[in-house]
Amino acid sequence: MNITINGKTCTCEKGEFLLEVARRNGIPIPTLCHHPALAGQGSCRVCLVEVDEGRGPKIVVSCVYPIQRECTVETDSERVRRERGMVLALLRKRAPESRRIAGMCRLYGAPELPRLTPADTGKCILCGLCTRACTELSVGAISTVNRGVLKEIATPYHEPSTVCVGCGACANVCPTEAIPLTETAETRTIWGKTFQLVRCASCGRILGTREELELAAKRCGQEPETLCERCRKAATAQILADVYGD
Amino acid sequence: MQVDMQTITDILHNYPAQQRYSLAMLQDMQRHFNYIPREGMEALAEYLDCPLSSLYAMATFYKALSLKPKGRHIIKLCDGTACHIRGSVNLVGGVERLLGIQAGETSADGQFSLELVNCLGSCALAPVMVVDDTYYGKVTMERLPEILGQYREEGQP
Amino acid sequence: MSKTVLVCCGTGCLANGSKKVAGAFRQLLAGTDHQVECVVKETGCNGFCENGPLVQILPDDITYYKVQVQDVGEIVEKTILAGAPVERLLYKNDAGQRVRSQQENPFYAPQMKVALRNIGKIEPSSVEDYMAHGGYRALKKALTMTGEEIVRELEASGLRGRGGAGFPTGTKWRSAMELERFPKYVACNGDEGDPGAFMDRSILEGDPHSVLEGMAICALAIRAEEGFLYIRDEYGLAVHNVQEAIAQAEARGILGEHILGSDRRLKLSVVRGGGAFVCGESTALMASVEGRVGEPRAKYIRSVQRGLWDCPTVLNNVETLANVPVILEHGGAEFAKLGTERSKGTKVFALVGKVKRTGLVEVPMGATLRHLIYDIGGGVKGNRPFKAVQTGGPSGGCIPADMLDLPVDFDTLKARGAMMGSGGMIVMDDRSCMVEVARYYIKFLSEESCGKCTPCREGLRHMLAILTDICEGRGQESDLELLEQLCDTLEDASLCALGKSAPNPVRTTLKYFRDEYEAHIKEHRCPAGVCTALTRFVINPDKCVGCGACQRACPAGVISGSGKKVPRVIDNTRCIVCGSCREACRFDAVEAKGRAGL
Repeated sequence: MNITINGKTCTCEKGEFLLEVARRNGIPIPTLCHHPALAGQGSCRVCLVEVDEGRGPKIVVSCVYPIQRECTVETDSERVRRERGMVLALLRKRAPESRRIAGMCRLYGAPELPRLTPADTGKCILCGLCTRACTELSVGAISTVNRGVLKEIATPYHEPSTVCVGCGACANVCPTEAIPLTETAETRTIWGKTFQLVRCASCGRILGTREELELAAKRCGQEPETLCERCRKAATAQILADVYGD
Repeated sequence: MQVDMQTITDILHNYPAQQRYSLAMLQDMQRHFNYIPREGMEALAEYLDCPLSSLYAMATFYKALSLKPKGRHIIKLCDGTACHIRGSVNLVGGVERLLGIQAGETSADGQFSLELVNCLGSCALAPVMVVDDTYYGKVTMERLPEILGQYREEGQP
Repeated sequence: MSKTVLVCCGTGCLANGSKKVAGAFRQLLAGTDHQVECVVKETGCNGFCENGPLVQILPDDITYYKVQVQDVGEIVEKTILAGAPVERLLYKNDAGQRVRSQQENPFYAPQMKVALRNIGKIEPSSVEDYMAHGGYRALKKALTMTGEEIVRELEASGLRGRGGAGFPTGTKWRSAMELERFPKYVACNGDEGDPGAFMDRSILEGDPHSVLEGMAICALAIRAEEGFLYIRDEYGLAVHNVQEAIAQAEARGILGEHILGSDRRLKLSVVRGGGAFVCGESTALMASVEGRVGEPRAKYIRSVQRGLWDCPTVLNNVETLANVPVILEHGGAEFAKLGTERSKGTKVFALVGKVKRTGLVEVPMGATLRHLIYDIGGGVKGNRPFKAVQTGGPSGGCIPADMLDLPVDFDTLKARGAMMGSGGMIVMDDRSCMVEVARYYIKFLSEESCGKCTPCREGLRHMLAILTDICEGRGQESDLELLEQLCDTLEDASLCALGKSAPNPVRTTLKYFRDEYEAHIKEHRCPAGVCTALTRFVINPDKCVGCGACQRACPAGVISGSGKKVPRVIDNTRCIVCGSCREACRFDAVEAKGRAGL
């Protein structure tokens, strides 16, 4: 099936998400809450575009929009620029300390809206990607809390989590670096809890937190790793060399 | 406050250990304790084998659920549109003055909680106030002391 | 000779003591050896809650209003035993005459009850009573039909979803029927959240079997074997009556393992809502049924395809389902004779606010607003000037006086920026401030937004701040343009219908009542005298007769003066601007002015 994006003909499968098709064809669409491993979030609304399936143009959110029929798409029309600018401007009021948001606002010409009062502090845009990462990849230590204008991301009862393993998946997927993660030589601190770091027994590189390694080991029914990936490969190669000679 | 673990267990075992019953179990705890005790949250997480965070998300999302203890009598003042344009705002002030608490708070003696709620579906009687399960229609400032008085005496030493 | 006493036990009448009234009837009628055999039934809501408790005596067809326990003896003696009416308890019509029958009451006479057909006549949960009034005949008929035949009747009827969106019910059923993925589910949306609407509550409380029957017919058509009724937790009586109705229908072999003895099965259960307006949105409702936070998902794939647990699911509103048995029994074509070209059948409205006769009314689609508000509702309370009617709840809009002759259906109001929605109809007079009404809805929505997507969560926060500023005298002239800009973004970029339609109350008030916004911003004056920061009440000495009603009503005790014919004076420095004096004054002497000069 063919669709037209910004005048360019693009081939796609029925049901494919519009964002993927655009990116495959080298057409950029900005995103924040989109992550290839955690698709379908669709909450930040920055990737909105204009689609016409023959019944007039409408605004859709490209990261979750499945292509059903032939259509023409505009990713940079006046209406898209205006609404994307407004969405970014609203996000800047939510996360006034985020440099990424500020940069995108400049790039996409978001209005200043000085009349609107920004949130006091913060970088979090409440997209919820971190809670998805934690629930789907790790232990579900954090979630969204409250609703509507009072929504936030937190651990239960706002206390250090009993189940968090300090894997840092939440901080890694966060589009605005809003989750503080600090490391010393021996420890990692995240969500108010400090974890002991384990280093590779051979080269000394950081493998992760002890709890994280134990969780991973338990899930595949093995003993926790003591070597980093590179040293493990080297050790395996050595064993093979010893067995088969060179 | 002492929480009866047996009651919590009984509530949970009324339902199969499936996520789809989580809201019902939380509501039953809410009804029994007038809030959801932490022990109940933790027991439910264990029963369903799900993260505590997902239950915490629910307990803070749904308005019918509360993590803080509520008063023995729950006063719901309707601020639906019909009540609103018929002066529910004044009643809120009136109840607040009579009980010395703000909407959303519980009185120090644990007698009353005051909640401002959305439409209760009794618009023809606006403005409406519900104490526990009793509806009072066309409430006026003058009637407030009398209505609340009934509950004040009850069970007082 | 046998008679029936129908005591309305809807929530409104219960609040006025109808349970005691019913008890008194039972006691008196059981006590002595009467020649008249009499049954006392507690029915669902008659819709005229303001005048409750209602008591109807059959076959005399006499309806009494505001009946109290002390009236029961007289009713038994005069009406039940002697067949004569108790004049003082009859309804007084606009001409001042007492009327016996509901059919002579101007509130009921113009109505046409389809969805509400049994309410007030039957004991709500009683399967026997429902069947005695023709219930479950349509289900029996449906068992002899194919899914295709059932869906054709629905399509022919032109029935559209009563929850507000107006999606054709037959089309929805067909999509679900044609999918070959199992299991499939039927669900009933009873999370009636629009402030000012209570028809679904009334149906669930007063005639739960009609909804169950509608769901069972749907289940037969699409081949579903399980269904859910998602009902607001606040609706305790509705939850109770529906659960009781399911139990009775299962015990009678109507639902359950063998629908009316056939090899088709249907298990229905009630899910209590958690108290979240957004759960009226289909995908959020389904998330909630599954035991998750009620956040909607993008609906580019419809919930009929990917619904509960990703399975095909038909979700219908309560009132929609209550219409289904009627369509099956009498045929889709017959149903389609009612209503307008594109909106078939009847619609139940909750006529509330500042109108003389308030309550639930059911009329054919296409009735004008004027007919509803003036003929049935009797006009604006206290004969004050009509200002607006708010329709469709927080997703709807405010309609001004010059549009009173518009027919009410799915499409006409939508074209004017409002919507019929679920049927809430709130009448406002000159003492309702339209800016404050807009602020009220935006505040409601900002608390009820799930907070998932940026435009709704952030946009509503800022819109509320701006509207609050305007109501409190801090509005700026550029605010109106900014509000319109935010409205555009919410409408275009929000994830679900809550966010997309959230701008409607602001848009319609900006469009039809812009002068009120301007008075707030430019003149620091609230023309309706509602916004306390911009209002000062002054007693017009030319109109004041010195009756002192305002003094007695004033909770702050700041009105001075004594003696007849001596005008009273409000001390504006201590006045709390609650408006009690203005409400109390029967001579229109209390006037709202701006705060300028204070």
